[in-house]
Amino acid sequence: MNQAKMKVAKAKTQKVLNILITYCILVVVAFVFFFPCMWLVLASFSKSGSIYSFDGFFPAEYGFDAFRTLFTDTVMYDYPKWFLNTLFIASMSCIIGTVLTILTAYCMSRFRFKSRKAMMKTTLVLGMFPSFMGTIAVYLMMTQFNLINQHWGLILIYSAQAPMGYMVQKGFFDTIPYSIDEAARIDGASNFTVFVKFILPLSKPILVYTALTAFTWPWSDFILPKMLLIDKNLYTVAVGLMSLGETEFARFAAGSIFIAIPIIVLYFCLVKYMINGMAAGAVKE
Amino acid sequence: MANLSLKHIYKVYPNGAKAVNDFNMQIADKEFIVFVGPSGCGKSTTLRMIAGLEEITAGELMIGDTVVNGMEPKDRDIAMVFQNYALYPHMTIFENIAFGLRMRKIPDVKRDKEGNPVLDKDGREIPVMRRYNKQELTAKVNEAAEILGITEYLKRKPKEMSGGQRQRVALGRAIVRHPKVMLLDEPLSNLDAKLRTQMRSEIVKLHKKLQTTFIYVTHDQVEAMTMGTRIVVMKDGFVKQIDTPKNLYRYPANKFVAGFIGTPQMNFFQGTLKKEGDEVVIAFKWSDAKITVPYSMLMKTTPQYLDGTKTVYIGFRAEDVSLDEEQVKASKAKIKVRISHSEELGTETLVYGDINMNGDGFEETNTRVIIKSAGFKEYQPDAVYEAALNLEAIHLFDLDTEESIMPRIPEYNYLDCTVREGNLTFLGNTVSLPDAVACGDGKGELLIPVSAVGFGGAVKANVIGCEEINGRFLVSLDVNGGRLYALSDEVREKGETTIGLDFKKLIVKVGGTEVSPMPLVNALSGTFVAEKRKIDGAKETHYYFSINGTKVEVPAEVYRKMFAATSGRKVYNSVYRYEWDPYGLAVAESGIEAEAVETLDYGEEKFLKCKAGEETLYVKCERPMSGKVYLAPDAGKVSVVESERQIRIV
Repeated sequence: MNQAKMKVAKAKTQKVLNILITYCILVVVAFVFFFPCMWLVLASFSKSGSIYSFDGFFPAEYGFDAFRTLFTDTVMYDYPKWFLNTLFIASMSCIIGTVLTILTAYCMSRFRFKSRKAMMKTTLVLGMFPSFMGTIAVYLMMTQFNLINQHWGLILIYSAQAPMGYMVQKGFFDTIPYSIDEAARIDGASNFTVFVKFILPLSKPILVYTALTAFTWPWSDFILPKMLLIDKNLYTVAVGLMSLGETEFARFAAGSIFIAIPIIVLYFCLVKYMINGMAAGAVKE
Repeated sequence: MANLSLKHIYKVYPNGAKAVNDFNMQIADKEFIVFVGPSGCGKSTTLRMIAGLEEITAGELMIGDTVVNGMEPKDRDIAMVFQNYALYPHMTIFENIAFGLRMRKIPDVKRDKEGNPVLDKDGREIPVMRRYNKQELTAKVNEAAEILGITEYLKRKPKEMSGGQRQRVALGRAIVRHPKVMLLDEPLSNLDAKLRTQMRSEIVKLHKKLQTTFIYVTHDQVEAMTMGTRIVVMKDGFVKQIDTPKNLYRYPANKFVAGFIGTPQMNFFQGTLKKEGDEVVIAFKWSDAKITVPYSMLMKTTPQYLDGTKTVYIGFRAEDVSLDEEQVKASKAKIKVRISHSEELGTETLVYGDINMNGDGFEETNTRVIIKSAGFKEYQPDAVYEAALNLEAIHLFDLDTEESIMPRIPEYNYLDCTVREGNLTFLGNTVSLPDAVACGDGKGELLIPVSAVGFGGAVKANVIGCEEINGRFLVSLDVNGGRLYALSDEVREKGETTIGLDFKKLIVKVGGTEVSPMPLVNALSGTFVAEKRKIDGAKETHYYFSINGTKVEVPAEVYRKMFAATSGRKVYNSVYRYEWDPYGLAVAESGIEAEAVETLDYGEEKFLKCKAGEETLYVKCERPMSGKVYLAPDAGKVSVVESERQIRIV
């Protein structure tokens, strides 16, 4: 009897200990992740611009000066202009890229044609190379097309590269039963009608995912705009912030914080569509 | 509201797998056809080919009077119900049913805003195509929903419905368009047993109400037997038998059908048949059992099996074996059965036993026997009982081919005969043999194929029976007390008639020599070639069969089928077998070179036996010939078989 009691007590302490260790690890990991962000947020609220005026690790004085100058002092560094440039490039790439990706994935999922397998394998292998490997080739091509120093050049590259990652979308389309397509075709629908009226409404979660990824990449990309954009007026935020002077660290931090806002807003707008079970009730599972 | 015709339909996948082999069938309007068979037998593939979801490799599919081979599913005017329902999950039930109507256009005349027809300048109405309007749509959907009892669910989504209701919606989606043909692909296999029985009768009711052609695929033989007006039994891509449920049960054409249809499965034994005078002795293998059957009951049995050496399958259904004491007492065909165990099913008891006294009755062997007996009757395990066999219901099958050796239409009439100086005497009649059927004098056997007996000839006969089998009539004839079967395309009344023999098909075995029938198929191997020609600047392509170096021009309808059956340039690289009957070839000035070997004189008709390379050909001719001849084939009467995949293309 006594022994049994002791066993229960031992199990309890063991359980508490387990939870304690788990939370300790989680706190450490969370700190490692969040500290740089927090530090950046604090830095953006620093009154003086330079990092050398910090009181040790943190800013000495706090204020909204950095955010104010970001939007008012546009003579040297036109942050609002850069922001609009980025928004334009990212939005256009997002729209065109999403359409292309979804169409590619639909074709690969639903149609059987010659060299389909070969194409799938090629894209898979090509996807293994980092995209900046082709930077020089891209630069040469853009000079040939006369698209250097133009936003549409960037949009072209982003949109064209987006369908390379069609695999996730294809995987999703594969889960939509093929008999729905067949039923619709017997009912008189063409391939395009099937796509628009049946596949798209059932694919909202993956559409949102595709749109988000297609937006965030051009939004935060640095290498391509740095290489292709020469005119300061055409800069995207990432390139623009890089061009800030050494004494403008607070402004840099403020710009970096502000750029995250649209993505957060976009995410909260779209997250409600990313629910599961859209296809429930279609076929017998 | 249409009949269907499937001619030599094949489905071969690119990897060479053959899903459907030479499917031939005529489906009449308003029939309820069931395709049944184990999984992977090609039944669903055939259905999907009819629907247009699967391409037809070779063959011709007609719905109504149109060939629909290359047609899109939506243009075929068919509707299909899928095994997994395939409802549109994001649409309401109303929209699910209405979608097919929304996609369609109906003929109408041009109308003004009040709905009155607008006339052109000659005062005629202007025909236009328009979509269904809202009132028509609602009326049609409601009508379909009412038939199926789902009116109250129209505003729901599929996920809010149960399996049975979903299947009703799927049916509603199909019937709302009033299609020519309804296709159902295992629609009930996802429902539970009780619901399945209920939906089964509802589908039969629906068929009666709609008066449309139904084609129903299932793997469940009970479903097939209870629903179909005709059943197609398939296995491994081959059609095993097409017939009404009753005929499938009573006259299975092969062992597969016999075993597949009916529960419990038919009992199969192995044994030999030996004809002794007017009786046939059946000896069972691995057992001492022996029964004697009057020959009159086995008249249709192919004679080669009656010599007591060939082992055959002997089949009896469980209800044709009886342990009932009175029946056993009255029966002449008794076998000893050692009982092993029994299964009580309420109304009846299934008794398991073995005709081999060492058999255990559990394993499915060629001595195990299942007997249907009255309910709750008890039998002592391990005791030996006598069982009576119902000889009327005996089924016999070949050991290797598993085909019935007692077909409903027998192959041959098997008679004794005498030949003297070119005159053949059989059943008390004497006819003179043509020169081609040359054999020495003596006594022997005569095998007359049922198709070789024609009506209107020199021999007097009495019609004693006429039986309809698959659209043809098997006529039983009495000739001087002997029995003869003949085939006829029309009903023959009982009474006197005259018959004649087609000597081309006879087999006469007299005095050690055997005269074989004339082959009706000339087969030649060859390739297919194309030649481009320039005539007046315009390029024309001509297509030829190339046989032994001779080219035969191919008509358009034939080469189109050949192109449809093969992909790309493969059509030129394949080897084909071209087949003609003796009337499809003719002696001409030019053509396939051959050596005339012999002239066969059948009296009214003469045929030339020729050698073209290795092949022997038979051609109809007007006068005896010898030496070198040229044979011109009639390209319209050809049948083409691709050798590699064994596909009949034309």
